[in-house]
Amino acid sequence: YILAWMGLEINTMAIIPLMAQQHHPRATEAATKYFLTQATAAAMILFASTTNAWITGDWNIPQTSHPAATSLLTLALALKIGLAPMHFWLPEVLQGLNLTTGLILSTWQKLAPFILIYQIAPNTNPTILTSMGILSTLIGGWGGLNQTQLRKILAYSSIAHLGWMITILHFMPALTLLNLTIYIIMTSTMFLSLKSLSATKINSLAITWPKTPILTVMTMLSLLSLGGLPPLTGFMPKWLILQELTKQNLPILATIMAMSALLSLFFYLR
Amino acid sequence: MTSVHFSFSSAFTLGLMGLAFHRTHLLSALLCLEGMMLSLFIALSLWALQLQTIMFSAAPMLLLAFSACEASAGLALLVATARTHGTDHLQNLNLLQC
Repeated sequence: YILAWMGLEINTMAIIPLMAQQHHPRATEAATKYFLTQATAAAMILFASTTNAWITGDWNIPQTSHPAATSLLTLALALKIGLAPMHFWLPEVLQGLNLTTGLILSTWQKLAPFILIYQIAPNTNPTILTSMGILSTLIGGWGGLNQTQLRKILAYSSIAHLGWMITILHFMPALTLLNLTIYIIMTSTMFLSLKSLSATKINSLAITWPKTPILTVMTMLSLLSLGGLPPLTGFMPKWLILQELTKQNLPILATIMAMSALLSLFFYLR
Repeated sequence: MTSVHFSFSSAFTLGLMGLAFHRTHLLSALLCLEGMMLSLFIALSLWALQLQTIMFSAAPMLLLAFSACEASAGLALLVATARTHGTDHLQNLNLLQC
């Protein structure tokens, strides 16, 4: 656990100078907010592991068995990756960064906490996990509806995707990893195409048609894939997750998830 | 739950509440973060002492080193914020609102 915590801390500290590189007030403010939330989450992770060590005498990661420790650990890891109800920092922080740093934030930073989540997955409280997952998909859908800034839209989309991933964690962790990989690929595509178009608002996306029509088509396709439409790759994890949920006799949950996917699809299409 | 466990848990929780509910100055948030790290340091040291092994004795020192790095990063960000925003006050950190 100590090594995991050190890894997370090094990760945080390495990203901070990258974020604050621009010397723009927005970037500095984003870096400060990010630092505070990530440091809190790291301290909470260590506290949860220490309480577990005091109560059960165990220091191995897959064997955190005390329910209070695992709940706290889940909350702390959710704070780290930006899962509702601890997602409030994500749109603002992503807004303050330039697109490459935002890319690193959305993709690479999610890997390390997800590894921890995957390892403690069998011991966690399923109620917390599924409620956070549903909340994330709903908030990711609703919150993104009124946005015109592209980075905030991508922030809300990442919240929604993470909600999907967390929901399936209890039933089949392999699907979580699959969803994570596909999400990373799709989000990198989006960020890189936005970077080459150097577009940060929806209005500037509208003028890309005369500039580079091919890139516009690719961006549209990747957006639709993020939304999860059938012929594109993005549909695969959603389909598999819904299938798994219905196998476990949770049709209400599956319906709620599908409805919230419609919400995010709406603001993608804009 | 033994009394030692309760004491550092309450210390950590107090620091966490202070960090979550800080109102005017960014510096108080950093101080609460340091308080949390300190309570974790005490917890780890006492746990290593209770187990009577020498295997985990390096862990508190590592934690101390990393929390010092974290604090310095926080202070550097505080300085940067003061340079761009003018003051320390949290009301000034509102450039990124929707």
